[in-house]
Amino acid sequence: MTAAIRANLPVFAVIAPLFVAFVLPTFARRTRLVEGLVIFVQAVGLWGTAYLARLVLAQGGLPIIYEVGGWSAPWGIELVVGNLGAFFLLVVAGVSLPVAIYASGNLAKEVEGARRRAWFYVLYLLLGGALAGMSITNDLFNVFVLVEVATLSCCGLVSASQEPSGAEAAFNYLILATLGSGMILGGIGFLYIVTGHLNMGFAARALATVWQDYPHVVWMAISFFMVGFGVKAAFFPLHIWLPDAHSVAPSPASAVLSGLAVKGYIICLMKVLFHVVGPELMQVFSLNRLLVLLGMVAILIGSILALGQDELKRRLAFSTVAQIGYIFLGMGLLNVKGMTGALFHIASHGIIKSALFLAAGAVITQTGKERVSELAGVGKKMPITMGVFTIASLGLVGIPLFSGFVGKWYMLLGSLGAGDYLAAAVIVAGSVLCAGYLFPVIRVAYFEPAPADDWQEPGVRQRLALILLAMGIFVLGTIPGPLLELALAAATDFLVFN
Amino acid sequence: MMKDFVLKRIVIVLLPFIQMYGLYVIFHGHVSPGGSFAGGMILGLGFVAFATVFGLDRGRQMLPEKVTTLTESYGTLWYGIMGMIGIFKGFPFLANKLAGIDVGVPGTLTSGGLISWIGLGVGIRVASTITTLFFTMMEEKP
Repeated sequence: MTAAIRANLPVFAVIAPLFVAFVLPTFARRTRLVEGLVIFVQAVGLWGTAYLARLVLAQGGLPIIYEVGGWSAPWGIELVVGNLGAFFLLVVAGVSLPVAIYASGNLAKEVEGARRRAWFYVLYLLLGGALAGMSITNDLFNVFVLVEVATLSCCGLVSASQEPSGAEAAFNYLILATLGSGMILGGIGFLYIVTGHLNMGFAARALATVWQDYPHVVWMAISFFMVGFGVKAAFFPLHIWLPDAHSVAPSPASAVLSGLAVKGYIICLMKVLFHVVGPELMQVFSLNRLLVLLGMVAILIGSILALGQDELKRRLAFSTVAQIGYIFLGMGLLNVKGMTGALFHIASHGIIKSALFLAAGAVITQTGKERVSELAGVGKKMPITMGVFTIASLGLVGIPLFSGFVGKWYMLLGSLGAGDYLAAAVIVAGSVLCAGYLFPVIRVAYFEPAPADDWQEPGVRQRLALILLAMGIFVLGTIPGPLLELALAAATDFLVFN
Repeated sequence: MMKDFVLKRIVIVLLPFIQMYGLYVIFHGHVSPGGSFAGGMILGLGFVAFATVFGLDRGRQMLPEKVTTLTESYGTLWYGIMGMIGIFKGFPFLANKLAGIDVGVPGTLTSGGLISWIGLGVGIRVASTITTLFFTMMEEKP
């Protein structure tokens, strides 16, 4: 029995959250059971993915290949748990467990009605399953299906707050994301026309030999992928939906949307660009220049826009735009250091932004104040919440000992290695700007007189989740160990063995 | 609700045939055009036709929300359970012929093995989703 479970772990990582999501609506009113089941499946998922990651590391980066239905590669769907898959599975499971714990405590204050909350968890698990699938699938059409599942769950999560602005943001997001899905499907179609394969490995091999015969079709496919995944991942000029959507969603939803969902699309884009198209072809189409350039603009514009926001969650949402810019910049450098930095930043930003959004959500639900200027003295009344917020801010700025530093350091080394001193300057400037929009929150919270209001710390489950995330930030910053190894190996896979 | 006697009679007479045709399309998904989604759609449209002619209340009586929630959830879960057969027999998820399921003579009804049974779950899910969507839109106040 255990052998069967072990052999099928890759597929369980995808279907276990989906199974639980399917049965939740039948006992929607029994909130305790729903919450218990969600936390249980996330905890088991974390254990399973940790086991998979250990297996991959022990094999020296040799991927675990799972053939669904027993059909081998060009015909069937392959799930490949390689370095990249194990890395992102670990990130997804590691972030969604604390968020689920937090949601079980805080959701009652943010979403009304037991049934609505149960449906929230359904969407949450569907998103988790889709992200797990995106990280390990090796089939282009499967990518599209999982992207659709994730997108629709995201729309539901955004509108869960039952406010009119939430519905508006979700509608905007739905329109743009559907456009993106169409683009992705178009890109897959063009690639399929040229290569005749949907499996990424086979498509890559076919593309390497035929692309010179159809340069325009390949160019078209790549631009469709860039725009499609760019919209969903909020890549700079296409980010317009993100600030609204991520700031009105309930705080656990904001945390997974900003921390994980956009990263899932980036992972898919990385797979398409590096596994299928390949670094050489990217240089032919000057994609790397485009990625670096737009990444730099995203860092600067996102950070500057974040400076001007008084609403706390909106400020964090604009900061996500800037951090996504970092990841794309690291991708575009086309060297192992930059790529490692981008991948590690996916993990560290996932944890940090979840912690920031959850802390902000706790502050907002406990005090009812949404604006930074109204939060005077909140640090004295809610020391744990604001303490975690401070740790996460230091991490995002990139202070050594916190996880954001490792990713940014590698990206800095990568940009210097590539001789791109402008990019290096922008990375540093982005950190300074990041301090510019996060430290005022801390200053207001700690160094201004506290009002007489009776503000209390959130419940024990929220505090537990926040402390877990803060510990994650600290551990990743001091001993990044296995996660950094996986990121390094994945980056090497992307750029060297192609 | 419509007060036309002829319409009501015709819907009552046609309803079993519509449902039967829906099941036919579901079970023949692997040998003919259609499949679980199209078949489930036909299955659901039978209920939609009933609710259009007899009114929303009678429609809800026939298919209460509790039932549609159950069929929606377990219809999809059924897919997973069918997929698990492969795992229990020591093969990958969704294994069909490999897991020793009889796939009969190609081109006949049983030649799909698991596919028809998986399709049944999907079809039931699609049918209940279509009815739920229709009922929700009818209940919505303009």
